[in-house]
Amino acid sequence: MNGPDVQGEFKIIFTGPMGAGKTTAIAAISEITPIQTEAPNTDRISHAKASTTVGFDYGRITLADGQVVRLYGTPGQARYRFMWEILGRGAAGVIVLVDAQQPGALVQMDSFVDAFAPLVPPGAIVVGVGRTGEPGAPSSDAFAARLQARGIVAPVLSIDARQLADVRLMVQTLACVLAAGAEAGAA
Amino acid sequence: MTSHRMSRVSREIARKQLELLGQAAGVRSAVLFTSDGFEVAAHAADAEASARLAAIGSSLAALGSAIAGEAGLGEFERTLIESPDGTVIIQRVGSSRAMSLAAIGDRKAVLGKLLWAVQQASGQLATFLEVNRAADGAPRAQRSD
Repeated sequence: MNGPDVQGEFKIIFTGPMGAGKTTAIAAISEITPIQTEAPNTDRISHAKASTTVGFDYGRITLADGQVVRLYGTPGQARYRFMWEILGRGAAGVIVLVDAQQPGALVQMDSFVDAFAPLVPPGAIVVGVGRTGEPGAPSSDAFAARLQARGIVAPVLSIDARQLADVRLMVQTLACVLAAGAEAGAA
Repeated sequence: MTSHRMSRVSREIARKQLELLGQAAGVRSAVLFTSDGFEVAAHAADAEASARLAAIGSSLAALGSAIAGEAGLGEFERTLIESPDGTVIIQRVGSSRAMSLAAIGDRKAVLGKLLWAVQQASGQLATFLEVNRAADGAPRAQRSD
């Protein structure tokens, strides 16, 4: 598996479609001022947001056990797939964020899980679903059932990417998944 | 594929400007793109290659801006990638960060001449885009992938 790097730090990826909250999540949790590569969004038909990540986001946190985690956020649009592959190298795990209110959110989750599963160790995926409580949005159970139906084991959390506690919970959940994977590998 | 909101005429003029750049010694292809990775005009690059170059170029321009900012060097102007078989220049177009230009030079290209040609093209495109901004409206894409 992709373990800690030479400095004993883990690298994890935040990915998901445009507007899912990746930049917001990293900004909410990072203990350093995050590095952001935002550009004005000229494609207001796909999403109304004013700006979009075109390179990557970078932040850093230290977990309760002292483990340092480097946080990388990807661009969300498929035309930036080359960045997904660059950022995925050496990643210990991935957090897939989706906005339940976006049309096709379940399919979006599938496409990001499928894109990143080959780049991280088996099972090192956590899914965070935003705005599940909105009218007409699928519940987090619907996302979990979708993964289960495809034979994919991954925790699914209902989150608000603006809330530090929610983002921290996703990272801690991924850390637990990684620890369990490491124990299973050692046994 | 992406269709930019600039008028067809404006895009054609931008393409002609890139064609002029293509006459500089060693210039293999050139693409003008928005800061969020949409191709606006291209010269000597097929549709798929120019779309990919636009996306990658926009990331490089953004990373250039980020590293210039981290180093306290002010605004990003250009970045240069050299390899055994050629050179790529990503050049900001105009004073805003709305658009950039990518030019690919082959191994025959002389770096100084290539830089000069790219700067000239960038300046002319910036002037043209500024003049036409009101007529065409703010840069917007009609669809994305």
